[in-house]
Amino acid sequence: MMLIKIAWKNIWRSKGRSLVVIGSIVVGVWALIFGTGFMNGFIVNYMAEIINNDISHVQVHHPEFKKDLEVKYSINDGRLKAEKIRSWEGVEGATTRTIVSGMISSAQKASGIQIRGIDLENESVVTGLDEMIGEGSYFEGIKRNPIVIGDNLAETLKVGVRSKVVLTFNDGNGQITAGAFRVAGILNTSSVNISERYAFVLQEDINRLVGLGDQVHEIAILLDQQQEEAQIISRYQSEFNGDLAETWREIAPELNLLQEMYGSMLYVLMGIILTALIFGIVNTMLMAVLERFKELGMLMAVGMNRIRVYFMIIFETLFLGIAGAPLGLLFGWMTIKYYETYGVDLSSYSEGLEAVGYSSILYPYLEGNTYIIVTIGVLFTALIAALYPAWKAVKLKPVEALHKI
Amino acid sequence: MSVILAKNLTKIYQETAVPVKALNNLSLEVTEGEFTAVVGPSGCGKTTLLNVLGGLDSPTEGTVELAGTDITQMKESKLIDFRLRNIGFVFQAYNLIPVLTTLENIEFIMLLQKVDKATRNKRSLELMREMGIEDKASKRPSQLSGGQQQRVAVARALASKPKFILADEPTANLDSVSTANLLDIMAKLNREEKATFVFSTHDQRVIDKARRVVTLEDGAIVSDEIRQ
Repeated sequence: MMLIKIAWKNIWRSKGRSLVVIGSIVVGVWALIFGTGFMNGFIVNYMAEIINNDISHVQVHHPEFKKDLEVKYSINDGRLKAEKIRSWEGVEGATTRTIVSGMISSAQKASGIQIRGIDLENESVVTGLDEMIGEGSYFEGIKRNPIVIGDNLAETLKVGVRSKVVLTFNDGNGQITAGAFRVAGILNTSSVNISERYAFVLQEDINRLVGLGDQVHEIAILLDQQQEEAQIISRYQSEFNGDLAETWREIAPELNLLQEMYGSMLYVLMGIILTALIFGIVNTMLMAVLERFKELGMLMAVGMNRIRVYFMIIFETLFLGIAGAPLGLLFGWMTIKYYETYGVDLSSYSEGLEAVGYSSILYPYLEGNTYIIVTIGVLFTALIAALYPAWKAVKLKPVEALHKI
Repeated sequence: MSVILAKNLTKIYQETAVPVKALNNLSLEVTEGEFTAVVGPSGCGKTTLLNVLGGLDSPTEGTVELAGTDITQMKESKLIDFRLRNIGFVFQAYNLIPVLTTLENIEFIMLLQKVDKATRNKRSLELMREMGIEDKASKRPSQLSGGQQQRVAVARALASKPKFILADEPTANLDSVSTANLLDIMAKLNREEKATFVFSTHDQRVIDKARRVVTLEDGAIVSDEIRQ
């Protein structure tokens, strides 16, 4: 207790110097919390957007379909299977799609795309496609062959709502087929795929044109947050043998990589910021030890052993961390909470961000245990930073220290 | 009974370009209850002698027995503990702990010795009364005069009732009134508590109060006068 009391009082001997170090710890911890939340927000928002708006948690295809996206490789009784899946526990929604590679042409331009024949109602549940409509409507107001495309594609084709476009593709027999469609709506989204690579049509329209009947190529399944994808895949395989069911990790391995980055982001930032902090703390504590050489010599002369002197310096350094870390954590938490609600407006960079699929409003995200990890990290840093000054203190010889001026 | 028995002490400082012989085959015995002044011109080896007697420095040759224990071969960690339990130090620059109050400074050694709180308090109050600083219990060193600080330092040295007290130029930074007060207190403690004092000094007023005066020159004792 005595050591702790002296150590605590010692850090306030040079208030200005201690406050500078405590201030740097506060700023460091705040930057660590906010930086991690910001970076995690980027990753989590991006992943959530891709999973919830595009690829879903689980996709089912014919085992041969993904090789060349050949029309003939459809899922047997796909619609029936999707209907059953929708009743499974942990499943939020399941929709079917007919997928055909083709070309979209307007009067002025043409572009290669993926034509997606969708089940309107269930697509809305799984991807929220209807909520992305920026202009026009979600397949309403056009009686024959309505089509919905993304804003970038519309810009490329120089078309608007009610413009006519022609889709060209191979049918089930490999014959080139074409169909005239009219734009019912234009989607406004940060997803690159939806914005410029997909064209959405009614499933019955595209199936009629390619001669697929009621067959589909894809079942996309959206799960509850707590539901494990592996369990759904295992259930699918036990109930409907023969199809290829994959999780989002297999469909988009780059997202898996991002998720791994998410886990390591905290430690990367922590490594950088806390390493910088170590130097600041070592410098301060070294000064504190050097200017108290005589006093430390006296303490050892009158009988304070080296272990006690060592721990006194360690405690002093830890107290700097203990004084700074809670404030930094509090400011970090407050900043995260504020931006969790209002978001960080990155609209001045929105063009560049949306080009790579990011939203222009970023919501930071931080898991609760991050605060504990950061606290431990700061205390560990203080401990590491204390070692050299403490070693310097115990190495002094009382008789020499006492005669220092 | 001798509390200090130094035999054939030689101390040579090798760190300088030319080795310096600070103590030269010096022998000294101090018995319990003595009030001894070590005097001599600057550089004669007074401080070196006190450092060696206090186990803060080791002799190049010779032995030091303190209260019957040879400390010259003692390991550093044991020596620190030995100092804690047997020796009181008073320094020229007081060397109080600036962040602690008078009471806490006096209690400090007893805290290191793990003396219980009640005993610590009783002893500290008793010493503060004897030193005339009982009204300064909650003051920090920076709020005390030099004389008051040195009285706190003496009280700290005496608090744990050590076998003897080594004081290196204790009055060097004090004015004449503070010096006279401090000497009266030390002499009183020597009489009443049988505290053994060995101090190095240049100060004639201190020398006049001493009951034994050991004079050094070039690291050797040139006179050893015992007064009645």
